[in-house]
Amino acid sequence: MTANEIEKKLLKLAKAVQNDNRAPVNFSAQVMTRVREQHALETSSADERFLKFARNLSGNEHVPYAFEKRIMARIRELLTPDPLAFWSRMLWRAVAPCFGVMILAALFSAKEPTAAFIDQAAFDPAETTIETVDPESTDFETVMLASFDDLEYTW
Amino acid sequence: MQATKNFSETDVRTDEELVRIVVGGDVDCFEELITRYQPRVFGMARKYFRNESDAEDVVQTIFTKTFQKLSSYKGTAPFEHWFMRLSVNACYDALRRKRNRPEHTISDTLFDDESWQDRLGNIPDASDREGLEEARELVYTVLGQISDRARIVLTLQELEGRTIKEITEITGWSESLVKVQAFRARKEMRAAVERFLSREKRIVT
Repeated sequence: MTANEIEKKLLKLAKAVQNDNRAPVNFSAQVMTRVREQHALETSSADERFLKFARNLSGNEHVPYAFEKRIMARIRELLTPDPLAFWSRMLWRAVAPCFGVMILAALFSAKEPTAAFIDQAAFDPAETTIETVDPESTDFETVMLASFDDLEYTW
Repeated sequence: MQATKNFSETDVRTDEELVRIVVGGDVDCFEELITRYQPRVFGMARKYFRNESDAEDVVQTIFTKTFQKLSSYKGTAPFEHWFMRLSVNACYDALRRKRNRPEHTISDTLFDDESWQDRLGNIPDASDREGLEEARELVYTVLGQISDRARIVLTLQELEGRTIKEITEITGWSESLVKVQAFRARKEMRAAVERFLSREKRIVT
């Protein structure tokens, strides 16, 4: 048998043998572990390279022309008293006390006898005394509603 | 300090002396303090803000706050430390305010002609203004992806090379908080870099 014939036979035999398509156990997991390791290596090196890059980048310390003058002008502006700002600050400070007074006045007027009770008391001369109708509360109401009364007259 | 060196020996006044004079009523002396510190403050502000007008606003706020709080400076620590702490805190506040209107978006133009990884290997010269601007934009974009506190710590620790102790002094945060933020900063930065890499791979393919 010549060498050529032997080669042909071997080829035929090789072709006849079925391919083994089986993969080793956990082969894909092994490959993926390698891929992940490689990816982590790439990423961490990129991470380090980025930091090195950012660190070596020269900072820009350029100052705009006459910037200190601009700041000094702003500071002098702050030092100059502004009457409107003072007035608005005072108004804001007055908000809480005014609100408190309003609540107290509301509570005070709620405790007072109602108009129906006053009317009923008016029909009963025995109970109509000066003490039942508190003059202070009626005065308070008159004062509070004075501006609205004026409005009515205007319209 | 550059400005200090320019004065003649008799004219040199320390920061603390200047503070005393300003607190005493001579407001004009504050200009000398501004002149001394403004390059550093601008350099710092530009690390956090890409937009020039934002950086100018922050620097103005820093100096105005410094002036307003100057009387609270006790003189127990160097003025420089006190001032830098105030500056970093002002930058942090400004960053938090700006977080509501973010400017850092990953733009496709960053991947136009050159690989992102290749860019990191080429640090442009100081003369290459365009290259420097591009490089700074790259840094802003990556750092813009991480949280404000983490960014402050990362900038101070990794870019300025400060120690944890120095960072605690500057920020006024506890040591453990700084350490946690430093760890978080690295993690967030790694994630940002990963996003860049995956985006680049997507664009290339």
